[in-house]
Amino acid sequence: MNTTEQVGQPGTDRPPPGRPWTVRSHRLPPGSIQRLGLLAIIAVLVFAFGSARSSFYNQQLTVFPLLRDIATFTVVGLSQMAALSVGHMNLAVGRMAAFSAMFMGLAYQDWHLPLYPGLAVGLAAGAAIGSLTGWIISATGVNSFVVTLAMDFALLGLVSLVYSQFSTTAAFTTQPAGMDGLRTYSLADLCAGNVCGSPAIPQILLFTGLAMLVVGYLYARTRVGRELLLVGSNIRAARLSGIPDRRRVILAHGLSGTLAGLAGFMLAVTSGSFTAGIGSQFMIPSFLGPILGGTLLTGGVVSVVGTLLGTALVQVIRQGLTTLGVGLESLDVYLGVILLLTLSAGRIGSVVSHRRAVKTR
Amino acid sequence: MKRSFARRAQLIAGVAVLVMTAVAGCSTRGASGTTGTGDAPKKSSPSTVRVALVPGGAHPYFQPWKATMSKAKADFGLGAVTFNETAEWDQAKQNNLLTSLAAQGYNAFGIFGVSPTDINSTFSDLKSKGFAVASLGSCPAGGADKADFCLSTDVELAAYRAAQADIKAMGGHGTLVHLTGNNVDSNTQRRIAGVKKAVAETNGQVKLLTTVTDIDTDVQTAQKAVSDLLTAHGSAINGIVSTAYNPAVAAAAAVKRGNLPIKIVAIDDDPKILAGIGDGSVAATVTQNPVGQAYVGSWALTQIQSGACQVRTPGVVVDSGSFVVTRGSVATYDQERQAKTKELLSSFKSTVLSCS
Repeated sequence: MNTTEQVGQPGTDRPPPGRPWTVRSHRLPPGSIQRLGLLAIIAVLVFAFGSARSSFYNQQLTVFPLLRDIATFTVVGLSQMAALSVGHMNLAVGRMAAFSAMFMGLAYQDWHLPLYPGLAVGLAAGAAIGSLTGWIISATGVNSFVVTLAMDFALLGLVSLVYSQFSTTAAFTTQPAGMDGLRTYSLADLCAGNVCGSPAIPQILLFTGLAMLVVGYLYARTRVGRELLLVGSNIRAARLSGIPDRRRVILAHGLSGTLAGLAGFMLAVTSGSFTAGIGSQFMIPSFLGPILGGTLLTGGVVSVVGTLLGTALVQVIRQGLTTLGVGLESLDVYLGVILLLTLSAGRIGSVVSHRRAVKTR
Repeated sequence: MKRSFARRAQLIAGVAVLVMTAVAGCSTRGASGTTGTGDAPKKSSPSTVRVALVPGGAHPYFQPWKATMSKAKADFGLGAVTFNETAEWDQAKQNNLLTSLAAQGYNAFGIFGVSPTDINSTFSDLKSKGFAVASLGSCPAGGADKADFCLSTDVELAAYRAAQADIKAMGGHGTLVHLTGNNVDSNTQRRIAGVKKAVAETNGQVKLLTTVTDIDTDVQTAQKAVSDLLTAHGSAINGIVSTAYNPAVAAAAAVKRGNLPIKIVAIDDDPKILAGIGDGSVAATVTQNPVGQAYVGSWALTQIQSGACQVRTPGVVVDSGSFVVTRGSVATYDQERQAKTKELLSSFKSTVLSCS
């Protein structure tokens, strides 16, 4: 089993004696190399975009909204990563976000709950719908692709129905105290005495940090996390080892639903209201972040930091191209080409290092 | 092991509560980056004003904006103009695009918001940074408008007039169907309300058979929906009113192909729709005034941002006009629309803005 969170484990590929310089290069696990590569590419792109247009470094107008987007889409990526960890996928990730956001909107508008209790209601709704999806998958044995696709359709209808029933504008527009602040406040507004943070870093990024901490801890430091990865890696082996695989599948999808709910909340905070359209743009980015960051589609390997970096890469490219004034026709083409080159660079890097390793033997 | 996991879970929950408490408790200052003072801006030349027109995404409706921008730049002596339709109908992307344009030096924005319930937050953000903001083509939902002004078609009124025109074409009685766009868009809800109002005024003479939503994504989706509708209820339908572009094109083509006695009233003045009016397959269309929105909007934004004028009532809503085009008026409706644009310009000069 290989989680990219297990940095620092003794390497299995011990190099032959007499070639000390290869020892260092092979002590880094492949996941770390990939993440460092992503970081380097992001740094190069930031430098390139900033050199082309200095407005790319504008703290309030470029960096702040860029980080706000990275914050939201990283949580979206973590939601998909939770399903991928058990070898499943969650095609309903966007609609689960809409479902949770719907409960939050109802909690604020009709039940008059404050900000954080309303968020808790939404997260509970996300956890419930995710767990239900996981239960259907494990009880019926139907592929997660089919079940989550069906769930996506079911939630699309349900969410639209509820919004048209309970609101006249297809949205819940009540904003509890503190919600507007979360959208606009940066760390410069968060002070301990006279020391304040950077105005370029949005406060909403703290939610992402918290989610990353919890999910990272779960997968890297707990038995349940390792069991989830073993279920994703080899479900038969997991079952034979006495791991309750069905419960782990339900847990993974429950976690996915909860994180989708958190992403829905963050998007609603960023946009200003709770609408049925929340999450409609989540599906492709939900895969991009984790996959670019090293999470395997086949399950068994996840990377929380990689998901952040993968998401950051996509958002930096998009923001950079927008800053350069690239038109609609070209934007997606450039985005696709740069992503392809990035993925290829990672693959070329691993092939080269593999060949070097073979030669040293 | 179970106890260990429970302890870890408690630890995580504890950290979570601590961080949340810290975040909730430490927000002691106002939002950073708020530079707007609320005072009247100092006067400057129109050449210092850089206007950006930003629709919610690519759509044929906005194409006249592009050409109008160049005319506005020349006529009003603007510093720069741009038209950017890369928001892809995603509010988050549109917000990023707007801040990115602001970072590039654009300081006056005419915006068709993607989400009418969210766009006021975007307007507030831009206003707080000292930019002039107009809501063009669509007004925020809920009555409040945080932009300087909204210059838009009254979509409920336009849908009401379209339904009235269809009911008239049907002879005042029969069965009507309403085809429209995204059901969870508040503008769609307003259009539905407009059609229902016109039907209600017939006192039961006209029955609204169904309202088909979410079929404006592309022509194929609209074609399939219209085909399904005509297969199921074709003989029972007397009129189709479409308040979205793709269903209008699909319905006109299907009715013409099947030579059905269904009266169609469409939206906008796409060449296909106008050709349909010419050959009689479309009874009428309700056109809007995108040129007027872009031209008058750019002028007003320039006056506000340069400090020459101020809005008398911030957030005022101005109807840019809608025009029912039938076979009799297909050759002359554009003159009517140009006259409306001139009238709008003088109305902004005399009543909407206060100029020193």
